[in-house]
Amino acid sequence: MASAELRQIRRRINSVNSTKKITRAMELIAASRIVKAQQRVKQSIPYAEKLTEVIRNVARASGGVAHPLLERREVRTVGMLVISSDRGLAGAYNANVIRMAEAAMIEHANEDRELKLFLVGKKGQTYFRFRGYHVERAFLGVTDAPSYGDARAVANTLLEAFATGEVDTVEAYYTRYVSALNQQATLYRLLPVEPPTTEGEEQAGAVAYTYEPSPGEILDRILPRYVEAAIFGMLLESSASEHASRQRAMKAATDNANELVKILTRIANQARQAEITTEISEIVGGAEALAEARGE
Amino acid sequence: MAKSFQVDVVSPEATVWSGEATFVVARTVEGEIGILADHEPTMAALATGAVIIESDGDRTLIGVHGGFLQILDNQVTLLTDRAQISEGGRDVAARIAAELQELEQAEEELEGS
Repeated sequence: MASAELRQIRRRINSVNSTKKITRAMELIAASRIVKAQQRVKQSIPYAEKLTEVIRNVARASGGVAHPLLERREVRTVGMLVISSDRGLAGAYNANVIRMAEAAMIEHANEDRELKLFLVGKKGQTYFRFRGYHVERAFLGVTDAPSYGDARAVANTLLEAFATGEVDTVEAYYTRYVSALNQQATLYRLLPVEPPTTEGEEQAGAVAYTYEPSPGEILDRILPRYVEAAIFGMLLESSASEHASRQRAMKAATDNANELVKILTRIANQARQAEITTEISEIVGGAEALAEARGE
Repeated sequence: MAKSFQVDVVSPEATVWSGEATFVVARTVEGEIGILADHEPTMAALATGAVIIESDGDRTLIGVHGGFLQILDNQVTLLTDRAQISEGGRDVAARIAAELQELEQAEEELEGS
Protein backbone atom coordinates (compact mmCIF):
# COMPACT_ATOMS: atom_id res chain seq x y z
CA MET A 1 0.00 0.00 0.00
CA ALA A 2 2.98 2.18 -0.67
CA SER A 3 2.19 5.71 -1.67
CA ALA A 4 3.14 7.07 -5.07
CA GLU A 5 6.12 8.94 -3.65
CA LEU A 6 7.54 5.89 -1.90
CA ARG A 7 7.08 3.73 -4.98
CA GLN A 8 8.92 6.24 -7.11
CA ILE A 9 11.87 6.43 -4.75
CA ARG A 10 12.12 2.66 -4.55
CA ARG A 11 12.14 2.45 -8.32
CA ARG A 12 14.99 4.94 -8.44
CA ILE A 13 16.96 2.95 -5.90
CA ASN A 14 16.59 -0.16 -8.04
CA SER A 15 17.68 1.69 -11.13
CA VAL A 16 20.75 3.16 -9.41
CA ASN A 17 21.62 -0.28 -8.10
CA SER A 18 21.55 -1.87 -11.52
CA THR A 19 23.67 0.95 -12.96
CA LYS A 20 26.08 0.37 -10.14
CA LYS A 21 26.41 -3.28 -11.12
CA ILE A 22 27.44 -2.23 -14.62
CA THR A 23 29.96 0.40 -13.54
CA ARG A 24 31.40 -2.00 -10.99
CA ALA A 25 31.83 -4.68 -13.65
CA MET A 26 33.49 -2.17 -16.01
CA GLU A 27 35.79 -1.08 -13.22
CA LEU A 28 36.92 -4.65 -12.60
CA ILE A 29 37.43 -5.37 -16.29
CA ALA A 30 39.48 -2.20 -16.73
CA ALA A 31 41.55 -3.07 -13.67
CA SER A 32 42.45 -6.46 -15.09
CA ARG A 33 43.29 -4.92 -18.46
CA ILE A 34 45.63 -2.34 -16.98
CA VAL A 35 47.91 -5.08 -15.73
CA LYS A 36 48.07 -6.65 -19.15
CA ALA A 37 48.56 -3.32 -20.91
CA GLN A 38 51.32 -2.38 -18.48
CA GLN A 39 53.08 -5.65 -19.17
CA ARG A 40 52.92 -5.05 -22.89
CA VAL A 41 54.40 -1.59 -22.45
CA LYS A 42 57.20 -3.13 -20.41
CA GLN A 43 57.84 -5.90 -22.95
CA SER A 44 58.11 -3.45 -25.81
CA ILE A 45 60.82 -1.44 -24.09
CA PRO A 46 63.85 -3.71 -24.83
CA TYR A 47 63.23 -3.52 -28.58
CA ALA A 48 62.82 0.24 -28.54
CA GLU A 49 65.95 0.68 -26.43
CA LYS A 50 68.08 -1.59 -28.58
CA LEU A 51 66.82 0.07 -31.72
CA THR A 52 67.67 3.50 -30.35
CA GLU A 53 71.11 2.25 -29.41
CA VAL A 54 71.70 0.81 -32.88
CA ILE A 55 70.61 4.00 -34.62
CA ARG A 56 72.79 6.08 -32.34
CA ASN A 57 75.77 3.86 -33.15
CA VAL A 58 75.13 3.90 -36.87
CA ALA A 59 74.65 7.66 -36.88
CA ARG A 60 77.88 8.17 -34.98
CA ALA A 61 79.80 5.66 -37.09
CA SER A 62 78.75 7.14 -40.40
CA GLY A 63 79.20 10.69 -39.15
CA GLY A 64 76.14 12.84 -39.76
CA VAL A 65 74.35 10.82 -42.37
CA ALA A 66 71.85 12.36 -44.71
CA HIS A 67 68.58 10.56 -45.15
CA PRO A 68 65.18 11.74 -46.40
CA LEU A 69 63.58 10.81 -43.09
CA LEU A 70 66.07 12.92 -41.13
CA GLU A 71 65.75 15.95 -43.34
CA ARG A 72 64.13 19.08 -41.92
CA ARG A 73 61.99 20.93 -44.40
CA GLU A 74 60.26 24.25 -44.18
CA VAL A 75 56.91 23.42 -42.63
CA ARG A 76 53.95 24.26 -44.82
CA THR A 77 51.79 21.28 -44.02
CA VAL A 78 51.62 19.66 -40.63
CA GLY A 79 50.52 16.07 -40.28
CA MET A 80 48.91 15.37 -36.95
CA LEU A 81 48.41 11.96 -35.43
CA VAL A 82 45.94 11.98 -32.56
CA ILE A 83 45.52 8.81 -30.54
CA SER A 84 42.19 8.54 -28.76
CA SER A 85 40.07 5.53 -27.84
CA ASP A 86 37.23 3.73 -29.57
CA ARG A 87 35.04 3.66 -26.51
CA GLY A 88 34.06 6.35 -24.07
CA LEU A 89 33.33 6.08 -20.36
CA ALA A 90 36.96 6.73 -19.59
CA GLY A 91 36.72 10.01 -17.74
CA ALA A 92 38.67 12.86 -19.28
CA TYR A 93 40.99 10.53 -21.20
CA ASN A 94 39.79 11.44 -24.68
CA ALA A 95 38.93 15.03 -23.85
CA ASN A 96 42.47 15.76 -22.63
CA VAL A 97 44.35 14.54 -25.67
CA ILE A 98 41.81 15.97 -28.11
CA ARG A 99 41.89 19.35 -26.38
CA MET A 100 45.66 19.46 -26.58
CA ALA A 101 45.62 18.53 -30.27
CA GLU A 102 42.94 21.07 -31.10
CA ALA A 103 44.83 23.86 -29.36
CA ALA A 104 47.85 23.02 -31.51
CA MET A 105 45.65 22.93 -34.61
CA ILE A 106 44.38 26.42 -33.95
CA GLU A 107 47.95 27.61 -33.50
CA HIS A 108 49.02 26.02 -36.77
CA ALA A 109 46.07 27.56 -38.54
CA ASN A 110 47.03 30.99 -37.17
CA GLU A 111 50.45 30.60 -38.69
CA ASP A 112 49.00 29.66 -42.05
CA ARG A 113 50.12 26.08 -41.98
CA GLU A 114 47.99 23.50 -43.61
CA LEU A 115 46.81 20.55 -41.58
CA LYS A 116 46.37 16.90 -42.33
CA LEU A 117 44.68 14.85 -39.68
CA PHE A 118 45.40 11.20 -39.02
CA LEU A 119 43.43 9.68 -36.20
CA VAL A 120 43.48 6.56 -34.13
CA GLY A 121 40.27 5.84 -32.27
CA LYS A 122 36.61 6.43 -32.91
CA LYS A 123 36.23 9.16 -30.30
CA GLY A 124 38.70 11.42 -32.05
CA GLN A 125 37.11 10.71 -35.40
CA THR A 126 33.65 11.60 -34.14
CA TYR A 127 34.89 14.77 -32.48
CA PHE A 128 36.82 16.18 -35.42
CA ARG A 129 34.25 15.14 -38.03
CA PHE A 130 31.52 16.86 -36.06
CA ARG A 131 33.53 20.07 -35.96
CA GLY A 132 34.01 20.00 -39.70
CA TYR A 133 37.70 19.10 -39.86
CA HIS A 134 38.76 17.01 -42.79
CA VAL A 135 40.05 13.68 -41.57
CA GLU A 136 42.74 12.25 -43.84
CA ARG A 137 42.57 8.78 -42.38
CA ALA A 138 41.18 7.17 -39.24
CA PHE A 139 42.32 3.88 -37.79
CA LEU A 140 39.62 2.15 -35.77
CA GLY A 141 39.53 -0.98 -33.65
CA VAL A 142 43.13 -0.56 -32.56
CA THR A 143 43.17 1.01 -29.13
CA ASP A 144 41.90 -1.82 -26.93
CA ALA A 145 44.90 -4.09 -27.51
CA PRO A 146 47.21 -2.63 -30.17
CA SER A 147 49.39 -5.06 -32.11
CA TYR A 148 52.64 -4.27 -33.86
CA GLY A 149 50.84 -4.73 -37.18
CA ASP A 150 48.52 -1.86 -36.25
CA ALA A 151 51.50 0.35 -35.51
CA ARG A 152 53.01 -0.61 -38.83
CA ALA A 153 49.84 0.31 -40.71
CA VAL A 154 49.80 3.75 -39.09
CA ALA A 155 53.53 4.19 -39.69
CA ASN A 156 53.26 3.25 -43.36
CA THR A 157 50.54 5.83 -43.95
CA LEU A 158 52.52 8.57 -42.23
CA LEU A 159 55.85 7.65 -43.83
CA GLU A 160 54.26 7.72 -47.24
CA ALA A 161 52.69 11.11 -46.63
CA PHE A 162 56.08 12.41 -45.46
CA ALA A 163 58.01 10.86 -48.34
CA THR A 164 55.71 12.27 -51.01
CA GLY A 165 55.89 15.72 -49.45
CA GLU A 166 52.21 15.71 -48.54
CA VAL A 167 53.25 16.69 -45.05
CA ASP A 168 56.50 18.34 -43.95
CA THR A 169 56.38 17.21 -40.37
CA VAL A 170 54.32 14.85 -38.22
CA GLU A 171 53.29 15.58 -34.65
CA ALA A 172 51.83 12.81 -32.58
CA TYR A 173 49.47 13.41 -29.68
CA TYR A 174 49.00 10.56 -27.27
CA THR A 175 48.45 9.90 -23.59
CA ARG A 176 51.57 9.01 -21.70
CA TYR A 177 51.20 6.44 -18.97
CA VAL A 178 53.12 7.96 -16.09
CA SER A 179 51.57 5.81 -13.38
CA ALA A 180 48.24 4.20 -12.55
CA LEU A 181 47.07 7.53 -11.14
CA ASN A 182 48.71 9.87 -13.58
CA GLN A 183 48.33 9.94 -17.34
CA GLN A 184 49.41 12.87 -19.41
CA ALA A 185 48.45 14.04 -22.87
CA THR A 186 51.80 14.44 -24.60
CA LEU A 187 53.23 15.71 -27.87
CA TYR A 188 55.87 13.68 -29.67
CA ARG A 189 57.55 14.92 -32.82
CA LEU A 190 57.54 11.86 -35.01
CA LEU A 191 58.85 13.09 -38.35
CA PRO A 192 61.40 14.09 -39.41
CA VAL A 193 63.15 11.58 -37.20
CA GLU A 194 65.28 13.26 -34.59
CA PRO A 195 68.29 11.02 -34.26
CA PRO A 196 68.70 9.94 -30.66
CA THR A 197 71.39 12.05 -29.06
CA THR A 198 74.36 10.64 -27.29
CA GLU A 199 73.75 10.92 -23.59
CA GLY A 200 76.07 10.58 -20.67
CA GLU A 201 79.59 9.46 -21.25
CA GLU A 202 81.12 10.37 -24.53
CA GLN A 203 82.26 7.11 -26.04
CA ALA A 204 85.56 7.89 -27.64
CA GLY A 205 85.72 7.29 -31.35
CA ALA A 206 83.09 5.97 -33.66
CA VAL A 207 82.47 2.27 -34.01
CA ALA A 208 83.90 0.97 -37.23
CA TYR A 209 81.15 -1.35 -38.31
CA THR A 210 81.27 -3.80 -41.12
CA TYR A 211 78.02 -3.18 -42.92
CA GLU A 212 75.98 -5.78 -44.68
CA PRO A 213 74.79 -4.29 -47.02
CA SER A 214 75.81 -0.58 -47.09
CA PRO A 215 75.22 1.98 -44.29
CA GLY A 216 72.72 3.78 -46.50
CA GLU A 217 70.65 0.67 -46.97
CA ILE A 218 70.77 -0.14 -43.28
CA LEU A 219 69.44 3.35 -42.50
CA ASP A 220 66.79 2.89 -45.17
CA ARG A 221 65.58 -0.14 -43.32
CA ILE A 222 66.14 0.95 -39.77
CA LEU A 223 64.61 4.43 -39.70
CA PRO A 224 61.12 3.28 -40.70
CA ARG A 225 61.41 0.64 -37.94
CA TYR A 226 62.22 3.40 -35.52
CA VAL A 227 59.05 5.25 -36.49
CA GLU A 228 57.03 2.03 -36.22
CA ALA A 229 58.44 1.27 -32.80
CA ALA A 230 57.73 4.82 -31.63
CA ILE A 231 54.12 4.56 -32.79
CA PHE A 232 53.78 1.12 -31.24
CA GLY A 233 55.05 2.50 -27.94
CA MET A 234 52.58 5.36 -28.08
CA LEU A 235 49.69 3.04 -28.90
CA LEU A 236 50.57 0.78 -25.99
CA GLU A 237 50.94 3.65 -23.54
CA SER A 238 47.69 5.21 -24.73
CA SER A 239 45.96 1.89 -24.30
CA ALA A 240 47.26 1.49 -20.75
CA SER A 241 46.21 5.07 -20.01
CA GLU A 242 42.77 4.42 -21.41
CA HIS A 243 42.22 1.43 -19.18
CA ALA A 244 43.56 3.28 -16.14
CA SER A 245 41.31 6.28 -16.83
CA ARG A 246 38.33 4.03 -17.33
CA GLN A 247 39.00 2.21 -14.10
CA ARG A 248 39.13 5.48 -12.19
CA ALA A 249 36.05 6.88 -13.90
CA MET A 250 34.09 3.72 -13.20
CA LYS A 251 35.25 3.60 -9.60
CA ALA A 252 34.02 7.17 -9.15
CA ALA A 253 30.71 6.23 -10.75
CA THR A 254 30.32 3.23 -8.45
CA ASP A 255 31.13 5.35 -5.39
CA ASN A 256 28.60 7.95 -6.48
CA ALA A 257 25.98 5.27 -6.96
CA ASN A 258 26.61 3.99 -3.43
CA GLU A 259 26.22 7.48 -2.03
CA LEU A 260 23.05 8.03 -4.01
CA VAL A 261 21.52 4.77 -2.78
CA LYS A 262 22.29 5.80 0.80
CA ILE A 263 20.56 9.17 0.39
CA LEU A 264 17.59 7.70 -1.48
CA THR A 265 17.16 5.00 1.16
CA ARG A 266 16.95 7.68 3.86
CA ILE A 267 14.32 9.57 1.88
CA ALA A 268 12.43 6.35 1.31
CA ASN A 269 12.51 5.56 5.04
CA GLN A 270 11.20 9.03 5.86
CA ALA A 271 8.39 8.64 3.37
CA ARG A 272 7.51 5.24 4.79
CA GLN A 273 7.55 6.61 8.34
CA ALA A 274 5.37 9.53 7.36
CA GLU A 275 2.92 7.14 5.78
CA ILE A 276 2.78 4.98 8.92
CA THR A 277 2.26 8.02 11.11
CA THR A 278 -0.58 9.18 8.91
CA GLU A 279 -2.15 5.75 9.04
CA ILE A 280 -1.92 5.51 12.84
CA SER A 281 -3.39 8.94 13.37
CA GLU A 282 -6.18 8.04 10.99
CA ILE A 283 -6.92 4.86 12.97
CA VAL A 284 -6.75 6.68 16.30
CA GLY A 285 -8.90 9.48 14.96
CA GLY A 286 -11.41 6.98 13.62
CA ALA A 287 -11.54 5.03 16.91
CA GLU A 288 -12.06 8.21 18.89
CA ALA A 289 -14.82 9.29 16.56
CA LEU A 290 -16.51 5.89 17.03
CA ALA A 291 -16.15 6.04 20.84
CA GLU A 292 -17.59 9.51 20.90
CA ALA A 293 -20.50 8.41 18.73
CA ARG A 294 -21.24 5.45 21.08
CA GLY A 295 -21.00 7.61 24.28
CA GLU A 296 -23.45 10.14 22.94
CA MET B 1 85.03 -24.18 -22.89
CA ALA B 2 84.72 -21.71 -25.67
CA LYS B 3 84.52 -18.05 -24.85
CA SER B 4 80.92 -16.90 -24.58
CA PHE B 5 79.17 -13.65 -25.37
CA GLN B 6 75.83 -12.00 -24.67
CA VAL B 7 73.02 -12.59 -27.14
CA ASP B 8 69.63 -10.87 -27.16
CA VAL B 9 66.90 -11.71 -29.60
CA VAL B 10 64.13 -9.14 -29.33
CA SER B 11 60.99 -8.52 -31.34
CA PRO B 12 58.81 -5.41 -31.03
CA GLU B 13 56.38 -7.18 -28.71
CA ALA B 14 58.76 -9.06 -26.44
CA THR B 15 62.24 -10.33 -25.70
CA VAL B 16 62.35 -13.69 -27.43
CA TRP B 17 65.63 -15.00 -26.10
CA SER B 18 68.39 -13.61 -23.95
CA GLY B 19 71.51 -15.21 -22.54
CA GLU B 20 75.10 -16.27 -23.02
CA ALA B 21 76.15 -18.16 -26.13
CA THR B 22 79.32 -19.48 -27.68
CA PHE B 23 78.25 -19.67 -31.30
CA VAL B 24 75.51 -18.05 -33.35
CA VAL B 25 74.44 -18.60 -36.92
CA ALA B 26 72.11 -16.14 -38.63
CA ARG B 27 71.02 -15.29 -42.15
CA THR B 28 71.60 -11.79 -43.39
CA VAL B 29 70.49 -10.41 -46.73
CA GLU B 30 73.95 -11.23 -48.08
CA GLY B 31 74.17 -14.80 -46.82
CA GLU B 32 74.80 -16.82 -43.71
CA ILE B 33 76.98 -15.49 -40.97
CA GLY B 34 78.60 -17.48 -38.20
CA ILE B 35 79.52 -15.59 -35.06
CA LEU B 36 82.05 -16.53 -32.42
CA ALA B 37 83.28 -14.43 -29.52
CA ASP B 38 85.32 -11.31 -30.36
CA HIS B 39 83.67 -10.89 -33.73
CA GLU B 40 84.36 -7.55 -35.38
CA PRO B 41 81.66 -4.85 -35.03
CA THR B 42 79.01 -5.61 -37.61
CA MET B 43 75.69 -4.15 -38.61
CA ALA B 44 73.64 -6.32 -40.90
CA ALA B 45 70.11 -6.57 -42.19
CA LEU B 46 68.54 -9.93 -41.40
CA ALA B 47 66.80 -12.09 -43.96
CA THR B 48 64.12 -14.71 -43.38
CA GLY B 49 65.52 -17.92 -41.95
CA ALA B 50 66.66 -19.94 -39.00
CA VAL B 51 68.92 -18.56 -36.31
CA ILE B 52 70.97 -21.04 -34.31
CA ILE B 53 72.27 -20.15 -30.90
CA GLU B 54 74.68 -22.56 -29.24
CA SER B 55 75.79 -22.32 -25.66
CA ASP B 56 77.79 -25.17 -24.17
CA GLY B 57 75.95 -27.95 -25.87
CA ASP B 58 72.55 -26.31 -25.62
CA ARG B 59 71.11 -25.44 -28.96
CA THR B 60 68.28 -22.98 -29.47
CA LEU B 61 66.64 -22.55 -32.83
CA ILE B 62 64.65 -19.49 -33.67
CA GLY B 63 62.67 -18.71 -36.79
CA VAL B 64 63.32 -15.09 -37.70
CA HIS B 65 61.85 -12.78 -40.29
CA GLY B 66 63.51 -9.47 -41.07
CA GLY B 67 65.27 -7.03 -38.79
CA PHE B 68 68.84 -6.22 -37.88
CA LEU B 69 71.89 -7.82 -36.41
CA GLN B 70 74.34 -5.79 -34.40
CA ILE B 71 77.62 -7.14 -33.09
CA LEU B 72 79.48 -4.81 -30.77
CA ASP B 73 81.87 -5.54 -27.90
CA ASN B 74 80.87 -9.19 -27.63
CA GLN B 75 77.21 -8.29 -27.55
CA VAL B 76 75.07 -9.69 -30.29
CA THR B 77 71.68 -8.09 -30.69
CA LEU B 78 69.09 -9.41 -33.10
CA LEU B 79 66.37 -6.84 -33.60
CA THR B 80 63.86 -8.95 -35.42
CA ASP B 81 60.56 -7.93 -36.98
CA ARG B 82 59.16 -11.28 -36.01
CA ALA B 83 60.73 -14.20 -34.20
CA GLN B 84 59.57 -17.44 -32.73
CA ILE B 85 61.51 -20.14 -30.89
CA SER B 86 61.38 -23.48 -32.65
CA GLU B 87 61.04 -26.75 -30.78
CA GLY B 88 62.14 -28.83 -33.75
CA GLY B 89 65.25 -28.96 -35.89
CA ARG B 90 66.74 -26.46 -38.25
CA ASP B 91 64.29 -27.11 -41.07
CA VAL B 92 61.43 -26.52 -38.64
CA ALA B 93 62.92 -23.17 -37.64
CA ALA B 94 63.32 -22.26 -41.30
CA ARG B 95 59.71 -23.19 -41.92
CA ILE B 96 58.59 -21.07 -38.97
CA ALA B 97 60.52 -18.16 -40.47
CA ALA B 98 58.83 -18.68 -43.84
CA GLU B 99 55.46 -18.78 -42.11
CA LEU B 100 56.22 -15.53 -40.30
CA GLN B 101 56.99 -13.97 -43.66
CA GLU B 102 53.72 -15.22 -45.12
CA LEU B 103 51.89 -13.89 -42.10
CA GLU B 104 53.33 -10.47 -42.67
CA GLN B 105 52.42 -10.49 -46.35
CA ALA B 106 48.89 -11.56 -45.49
CA GLU B 107 48.59 -8.71 -42.99
CA GLU B 108 49.81 -6.22 -45.54
CA GLU B 109 47.31 -7.41 -48.11
CA LEU B 110 44.56 -7.21 -45.55
CA GLU B 111 45.52 -3.67 -44.76
CA GLY B 112 45.70 -2.70 -48.43
CA SER B 113 42.23 -3.99 -49.16
